Amino acid sequence: MPSPIVSLIRPGRDLRVDFIRGLALWFIFIDHTPGNLLGRVTLRNVAFCDATEGFVLLAGFAAGIAYGRLLEREGWLHAAGRVVGRVGTLYVAHIFLFVVFTAQVGFTAATLDQAAYLDELQLDPFGAEPYRALLEALLLRYQPAFLDILPLYIVVLAMFAVALPLIRRPGWLLGASVALYAVARLLDIAPPSWTGSAWFFNPLAWQLLFAIGVVLGRVEPAALARRFPWHRWLAVLAVLLLLAGAALRIAGWFGAQRGWDVPEWLAIWLAGVDKTGLHPARLVSVLLITWLVAHLLPRSAGWLTGRIAAPLVLMGQQGLAVFCCGIFLSFLGRLALEQASGGLVQVGVNVLGLLALVAIAVISAWYGGDGRRSGKSALPPAPHAATP
Amino acid sequence: MSRRPRLLPALLLGATLLGAGPARAEPPGCAAPSEALEAAALPGATTALTRGALRVLVVGSASTRGGGTSSPAATWPERLDKVLGARVAPAAVQVSVFGGRGTTAADHARIIAEQAPLLRPHLVIWQLGTVEAARGLPPDDMVEAVQEAIGRLRAARGERTDVVLVDPQFSRFFRANADVETYRDQLRLAAMASGAQIFSRWTIMRHWTETERLDLERAPRAQRVAVADELHDCLARALTEFVLDGLQRGRP
Repeated sequence: MPSPIVSLIRPGRDLRVDFIRGLALWFIFIDHTPGNLLGRVTLRNVAFCDATEGFVLLAGFAAGIAYGRLLEREGWLHAAGRVVGRVGTLYVAHIFLFVVFTAQVGFTAATLDQAAYLDELQLDPFGAEPYRALLEALLLRYQPAFLDILPLYIVVLAMFAVALPLIRRPGWLLGASVALYAVARLLDIAPPSWTGSAWFFNPLAWQLLFAIGVVLGRVEPAALARRFPWHRWLAVLAVLLLLAGAALRIAGWFGAQRGWDVPEWLAIWLAGVDKTGLHPARLVSVLLITWLVAHLLPRSAGWLTGRIAAPLVLMGQQGLAVFCCGIFLSFLGRLALEQASGGLVQVGVNVLGLLALVAIAVISAWYGGDGRRSGKSALPPAPHAATP
Repeated sequence: MSRRPRLLPALLLGATLLGAGPARAEPPGCAAPSEALEAAALPGATTALTRGALRVLVVGSASTRGGGTSSPAATWPERLDKVLGARVAPAAVQVSVFGGRGTTAADHARIIAEQAPLLRPHLVIWQLGTVEAARGLPPDDMVEAVQEAIGRLRAARGERTDVVLVDPQFSRFFRANADVETYRDQLRLAAMASGAQIFSRWTIMRHWTETERLDLERAPRAQRVAVADELHDCLARALTEFVLDGLQRGRP
C-alpha cells in the first residue's frame, strides 16, 4: 500500500537526482537560517562546495531534460519562450521576497536603538535612499543578504534560453560555457551591484555548473558511465582529496586555538578559494562528489522508492516551488531564531521548516505545478497507482 | 570596615600576578569563554614591553569610536588603553585609534599604510567585517585587503609588529539579517594566510548574550548607555586577557 506522498512521485526519472536535489533544498533552508544548530552539520562545513553548487548543478540537470525534449518537439522559439516564462515567474517571486525582507529589516532596525548598532544599520539602505533602493532592487543590482541565489538563477536561466539550440551539440555548449567562465574569472567581469562592487554570486562564472548539469541531463546514462567509468583507485584518490579538503575546512575553524598550523602557502591558497566566482576548487569538489554519488548510489536502490526517501524525492521533483517558498520559510525561521535560539525553538524551526517544505512539494505536485507542465508531453500519462 | 580599602588593592595585585583571579567573583575578561581568550605568541609586543613601551594602533569601524557609549572615553579602545596599561605597568601603553562609522577593510588598509610608518606600532588591532557583511560586499575583496595590508606591514616592520583581527559584534538582529558566518569564515582564512590572529568578539558577545551576562539588544532603553559602557569595558578586559596570554607565550 503506497503512502500518499509516494503516489505523487513521478516515475521514469532518476530518483537519485530528485533525492539529492531535495537534500540540497533542505540544506539551503538550514544555511539560510543563521543560528540554526543544524547549520553546523551541512555540507559547507566539510567541503569546499555547499548546497548552492548542488542546487545549481541539478537545476541544470532538470532543465536539460525538460527543455531539451521541448526543444526537440516544438523548436527553439517555443522552448525558449517557456524558459523566459520561468524567468518571469522567478523575477516576480524575487521581488515579492525582497519586499517582505526589506519591510522586516527596516521595521526591526527602526525599533532598535540607533546608537547601539551603528554599522549594522547599513543593512537598511532604504532608510537613506528609498526610491533609489527600490529601483536598484528592480534592476537586481541591490540584493539583500540571503536573497542572492534567486538573481543568480534568473540570469543563468535567461542565458540558457539563448543557448538552448547548443543543447544538441554538448561539446560546443560546454566549450562556450568554459570560455565564458574563464573570461569572467580572469578578467574579473561580473554584473555590478549597488551596495558593493559586484554580485555575491557571479552568474557569468556560475553558469558553467548549470551547463554541466544540462549536458549530464541530456546524455544517455549508459554513455555517461562509459565516459566516466569506475576506477577503484581513482575513487580512493577522490575520497582522499575530499577528506583532505574536509580536514582543511575544519582546521580553518578550530586550528588556530588548538595549534594545528596550516602551512602559510596552503593558508594563502585557501583564502583565495572564492565562492563569488565559483573557484575551480569548489567546482572540482562538487563534481567529485557527483561522480562518487553517481557510482556508489545505485539507480535502483530500493530505499529511493520507499517512504523515508519520498519526502525529499518529492521536494526535488518540485524543486522550483520548494526553492522559492523555502527562501520565504527560512526568513520565518530567522525571525523565530532572532527572538530565541534555545533548544525548543531550534527543534520547532527545523521540524516545522521541513514539514512545510514537504507540504509545499505535495501541494505543488498535486496541483500539477512544477514538472508536470514542463514534462507533461514528455512522459506517458502515468497512472498514479502504477508508482512502484 | 576600615581594613577593606587596603585589602582590596592587595587582592587585585595578587590576582594580577597570578594571572587567574581566585579572589574575584568572576573569571577574568568578564567571564568570556576561556578558549576565546587563548592567543598565540605576540613576539613584537613582548619585545616592546621588555623595553618599557607598547604602542598599539587600533583601526576599525563604528564601535571603535562610539557605539552607544556615554562618552568616547568609554569605548573599548580607550578602555583597553587603561585596562591593559594597568596590567603591564610600569611599562607604558599608548593606544592610537583610527577609522570610523561605515569604513571598510580597504579604508582600514589605507589608514594602516599611512599611519604605520609614523606610529611604528608593536600591535595592530584591526576590527573589521561588520560593514562588509551588512552591505554584502564581496568577501574576497575583504580577504585581499587584509592580506595586502598585513603583507606590507610585515615587509616594513617584520617581527616588530603583531596583528590581531577583531571580528563583528554579535547581535541577534545582525545574525538574522546578514550572512555573517561567511564573512567570519573568510576573516579566519585571511588571518591564517597572513599570520595574524583572531580575537573573536562575535563568539565572546554571543556567550555573554546566551549566559545573560551582557545583552545590549535586550537591555531596557533607560539602561542602554550603561550596558553599552559595560560591554565596551568588558570587551577591553577580554582583549587584555587575550593580549596577556599572547605575551606569556612570547616570553622566551
